[in-house]
Amino acid sequence: MSVAASHPLDDTTEFATCAFAVRAAGSEPGPLPSGLRGHPGGGRPRTLTVGDLSVVVQSVPAAAFAGDALADRLQDPAELERCVRAHHGVITAAALSGAVVPLPLATLYLDDDRAMAAVHDRREQLSRLLAELSGRAEWGIKVTSVAGPRPSETTPATGSAEMQPVDGHAYLDRLRGRRQAREERQEAELRAAERVLAVVRRAAVAARRLRPQELPPSGGVRQLLNAALLVDHAAEARLRSAVHVLALDRGIAERATVELTGPWVPYSFARLDEEVPDGVR
Amino acid sequence: MSRNTPQPLESHEPLEPYPPRTANLADILERVLDKGIVIAGDIKIDLLDIELLTIRVRLFISSVDTARKAGIDWWETEPALSSRAARDALHEENQRLRDRLNELESADHSPTRAEEPESA
Repeated sequence: MSVAASHPLDDTTEFATCAFAVRAAGSEPGPLPSGLRGHPGGGRPRTLTVGDLSVVVQSVPAAAFAGDALADRLQDPAELERCVRAHHGVITAAALSGAVVPLPLATLYLDDDRAMAAVHDRREQLSRLLAELSGRAEWGIKVTSVAGPRPSETTPATGSAEMQPVDGHAYLDRLRGRRQAREERQEAELRAAERVLAVVRRAAVAARRLRPQELPPSGGVRQLLNAALLVDHAAEARLRSAVHVLALDRGIAERATVELTGPWVPYSFARLDEEVPDGVR
Repeated sequence: MSRNTPQPLESHEPLEPYPPRTANLADILERVLDKGIVIAGDIKIDLLDIELLTIRVRLFISSVDTARKAGIDWWETEPALSSRAARDALHEENQRLRDRLNELESADHSPTRAEEPESA
């Protein structure tokens, strides 16, 4: 191939090939839904076959991705959301007919041949991952602290009235008391979250912690746990009932709420443990 | 190669068959932006940039929510965030989250502190 791997898209390139997901070629004919549009301004999402594998791609306008165009677009929250949802929409549609390995947002090739070559070069890793993910889905588990007044933290530890002047020692004692109460509560919340994870983990074949999400500070609650589970389709009912039981558990309900999301395409489990060397010629 | 005419942009795809109920933006972002197997493309986005973007967007979402609760429209004067489209998209997302919240709160599997189940 004469095109260098680092060849930039330029004005002469009208369309680039955007790759979304790899699946087993055997999952054809699992046609993509006819309403699927992918990124705006592009062609219809379609499938390229590479040996035993297939890759879902879309021809996208090169001008929307070339140079700084993509980076600029992603600076705009609305445009980022649009882009991310378009990507997610194609991948989830591709997953309707079987296991997929999702590719990162805006995985772009100069043309179909280069996209196929990239899949071909990694066919063994991709096949292995597909086998691992087959018959399984990702579920999200989020544990959030419960909002509410904390009498032990708001009433003075010394028991004296707020308005009366207090001496330095009493003041410090009070601060210490509040801090201790807060720390104890936070520890109890985290223990509850860990218990949730330990219980739901039993229904899963793998689990990964995700970074806790930012919640509005005004809500007075914080996310204690954000995790992804890889769950056999056959174990979904077990997972749901485990979450239900946890929500009724007094020790947990007093401190936290548990939310289950999914099923997701297994984004969090379709990773390589180490960086793939840049083997594209 | 087919060449579709550009279609009107929408803030989200009408077709999201796989995760049917909970297409929470933050949940999607954290999965889509830093997950997925890497097969090198001809154009690369710096993963560090993506990381920063995710954080910024999350903060943006929570800030807008906070501001709305406080009745402040500060983001209208913030140049980086002043896009009308951004507000509309977030408003829509927030509305959907609120609907979802109401739905959850009216369901029985969301016990509150005030109404704890009698189970031991």
